[in-house]
Amino acid sequence: MEKSLIKFIWSYSSRYQLVILFATCLSYPVSYILLELPKQITNEAISGTDFPKNIAGYSLGQIEYLLVLCLLFLFLVIVSNGFKLFLNIYKGRLGERMLRRLRFDLYQRVLRFPLSHFKKVSSGQIIPMVTAEVEAVGGFIGEALALPAYQGGMLAVQIGFIFMQDAYLGLAAISLYPIQGYIIPKLQKRVLRLSRQRVQNVRVMADRLGETIQGVTDIHANDTSAYHSADFADRLYKNFKIRFDIYNRKYLIKFINNFMNQLTPFFFYLIGGYLAIKGELSIGALLAVIAAYKDLAGPWKELLAYYQLTADVNIKYQTVIENFDPANLKSIQKLTSDEVQSLKGPLVLEDVVYQAEVGASELDNINCQIPYAEHCSILGSEADGRKDLLMIMAGLLDPDKGVVKAAGHCLSMMSEATLGRKIAYAGPKPHIWTGTLRDNICYGLRHRPQSLPLLDKQSQREMQRWLYEAKMTSNPQLLSIANWDDLATANVTQPQQLDNNILEICEETGLSQDLYRLGLQAILNKDDHHELQIDILKLREEFAKACKNDSSLAKLIEPWERDRFNKSATLVQNLFYAVPRTTGFKLEDLLADKRIKTFIEKSGLYEPLVTMGYQTISLMVELFADISPDSELFSTYAFISYDDLPHYQSLLQQCGPGMSKRPPSDKDKKKLVSIALRLVPTKHRLGVVTEDFQAQIVTMRNKFIDETSQYPAQLELFDEKTYMQNLSVEANIIFGTVKLTKRDARQRIETVIREMVEDNSLVKPIRLAGLEYHVGIAGARLNDNQKRQLGLVRALMKQADIVILDEALASKTLEGQQRREALQKYLRNKTLIVGTTDPEIASQFPRQMQLKSGQLANSQGIEQQETDQNGGHDDN
Amino acid sequence: MTIEYEMAALKKVSFFKSLDEKKLKLLAYISECIELSKGETLCLQGDEGDCAFVILQGEIDVNVDDTRVITATTGDILGEIAILCEIPRTATLVAANEAKVLAISKDNFLKLLEEFPGVSFKIMREIAFRLEQTTRELAALKAETKV
Repeated sequence: MEKSLIKFIWSYSSRYQLVILFATCLSYPVSYILLELPKQITNEAISGTDFPKNIAGYSLGQIEYLLVLCLLFLFLVIVSNGFKLFLNIYKGRLGERMLRRLRFDLYQRVLRFPLSHFKKVSSGQIIPMVTAEVEAVGGFIGEALALPAYQGGMLAVQIGFIFMQDAYLGLAAISLYPIQGYIIPKLQKRVLRLSRQRVQNVRVMADRLGETIQGVTDIHANDTSAYHSADFADRLYKNFKIRFDIYNRKYLIKFINNFMNQLTPFFFYLIGGYLAIKGELSIGALLAVIAAYKDLAGPWKELLAYYQLTADVNIKYQTVIENFDPANLKSIQKLTSDEVQSLKGPLVLEDVVYQAEVGASELDNINCQIPYAEHCSILGSEADGRKDLLMIMAGLLDPDKGVVKAAGHCLSMMSEATLGRKIAYAGPKPHIWTGTLRDNICYGLRHRPQSLPLLDKQSQREMQRWLYEAKMTSNPQLLSIANWDDLATANVTQPQQLDNNILEICEETGLSQDLYRLGLQAILNKDDHHELQIDILKLREEFAKACKNDSSLAKLIEPWERDRFNKSATLVQNLFYAVPRTTGFKLEDLLADKRIKTFIEKSGLYEPLVTMGYQTISLMVELFADISPDSELFSTYAFISYDDLPHYQSLLQQCGPGMSKRPPSDKDKKKLVSIALRLVPTKHRLGVVTEDFQAQIVTMRNKFIDETSQYPAQLELFDEKTYMQNLSVEANIIFGTVKLTKRDARQRIETVIREMVEDNSLVKPIRLAGLEYHVGIAGARLNDNQKRQLGLVRALMKQADIVILDEALASKTLEGQQRREALQKYLRNKTLIVGTTDPEIASQFPRQMQLKSGQLANSQGIEQQETDQNGGHDDN
Repeated sequence: MTIEYEMAALKKVSFFKSLDEKKLKLLAYISECIELSKGETLCLQGDEGDCAFVILQGEIDVNVDDTRVITATTGDILGEIAILCEIPRTATLVAANEAKVLAISKDNFLKLLEEFPGVSFKIMREIAFRLEQTTRELAALKAETKV
């Protein structure tokens, strides 16, 4: 990476910089004529007498001449502003492109960091560098060459003019420049040092802020908020001090510069005056020189400002890039090469030495050979260096000394295209990406884009532009909208086969059960799962029949019936006998529908709902006022958000107990109604939804359905015969709600549904539907076990030659043991290396090695192999 | 059943006697109210316990190894140790007649303790008292056997 900003700018944008310079120079005569023309209009066209004028062979009277000059003026105004527009857009675009190039380069460098480097850097520091800190560079790039060239040229012209008048005066004019040229950079250097400190301090602040957010639970649990506040306040003070120092010096520079600029006229008056008195210089020339000197100040100031800006931006640039140049950065080819080599051969470690940063023993002279398709375990703790050894075997870490070879190829020389496709590695805590289960499972297949979706003309044009811009900025020309699932990596040719593969591997790893359960909770997309929806409707009928035949099952649910109030559902579902059509739907939006609001008001339910809402918030404020905002109790049980708490507290104070002081405002009433509508009687047990009220709701519901010719578009009416689009598969089968007052009702119902699903051979389509389950941010909606299994599935999907699993199969239960056996069977033609801390698990594999304090000891497999080899030699 | 009623029931339980009304109300609110028909099983001996039960209405038979040991009635608490640590259920609970119980889950109870560390201390005292009482009884029993 270029160490200096100017070099970076020049090497990637010299051509464009010259265009900017050329256009700037071209605009100069236009601006000059534009300044001259008004003089000509007033002096020659308006006050002039010498008419008619002869211009380009035409004889023009005064009015015509005025018209021609004014039109010329208008034309030049347009041209001059056109130049400005062109230059601004050109500079802006260049700046943005360079910024994009710089940011991408930095991002790619993050990808090229050796893994060990991530122990030294924190994301809290890296993120602002790539996002905010380089922002200033973009604005500067467009001006980088044009401004100094233009202003420098102006300055040279003015100085030349003074010299032509008088060489002494010329010398006087520039006499202080050397002094300024010496003092100002000195002061500026100090400012730069401070700027660097400021950037670093802000980074530390970002880091502390990130740490506070991550460790907020522990801060509250240990009452250390004061401690952290003090630390942060201290950082802020440092920031203030640095900035204040910068101001002091910045304005001192300004002061010195202004002072020096005005010191020169002092010499002019003294020397020029003396020369004029002596008769060696005319008064006119002296005045012209003084006027010219005044014009010097403009470009000089601009140049100084440019100098300061350059220095500032340069320091920002340097303080960023110095963090992106660690030793042993991976080569770009390693990342971008498409060459894939087969690793079907022995994995050999020769004299491998590796010193971890902290916390683990040094791997000392490790020698071992694992023949292809052999399954072995490596027993040892992380402190023994197990994790490092496995990562070295996977090519994720490079050893300090020695070589790791797979099928004769040295791992450290191989591209990621080979390492990432032919070696699978899964650790105990795999990173789960925000997206669906399918996204995470197929993650290991997404190396390069495979096929583009069909695009219309408009999108194709957009894509062309996208590709052009990528080319201009050395960004990769790989489209993110493409289909990235590489079927060949998964060893299949058809998407259906890929689905089958996924299901098979999920079965092997034990994720199937969860997949099925998640499938039951999935909201099906009508287009992708039309057939399954029809099958689910059949199950609904079967389930209803089963309830009829088995009263104990019927007792567990509250079915949706038009004449019956469902105590385990919300009031809004009961009132409209419907569910919202979209997931992100808000009740407030429903009340915004005039028809619905009028209906609720007319039905006489509005005021009782307001009262209910009021009672609810009274209780919520009473119960949750002391609960910390990040407590799960708040998000799970409180009806109101923590931010709304103060509002409701003051509302309760103003309206008094039972709204005895005054009724709430219309706006608040609306809010209260929407709170009341979310009540579930058996869950919230506030005692506000009386039997009478329930009966009233059912009457109103029927009235609304009967009287409304067109049902509100946001709602989908419960209908026994149709699949409810915004309900889960399970809710569609049950067509009712599970009674909350029945313990283990859910379990029993799940068993019944499971039998029906199996009888109808729907397990597979439901599991496939489960693949569309969104795992939440970084897998927040999955438990640890599911995450581990998901990591395992991902590793197995790519059909790699070598599979390395570190603590990914840690369960000691009988099921865990069976899973390990199944896995060995599944991977019978591949090399499998399993890291574990448990001797019992280790002993389950045909070859066992033990790692103790960084040394391979007691490695039964190797001894065996040595004997074999010796035997082999003897035979020869 | 309303929160107020459940809170009143919790108030009578000695295990929670150190909690003030507001916290009891919150505890009731975040717990589940379960309805049982006669003969319905609430939990099985040997299962992992994850919640305590407070009887709000009706009676529950406590059976150990298929033999009824005692019949718990309104206001009694069963399986309270399960909300502090994971231990298998020591008895099977069956509704003796139509009953309603409040199930306080371990997870929620611990979240409540996290919010109000003072409560943990009071609960600890209550358990210490019980331990002391049990130890004393055990000592007395031992002394008796010796004699």
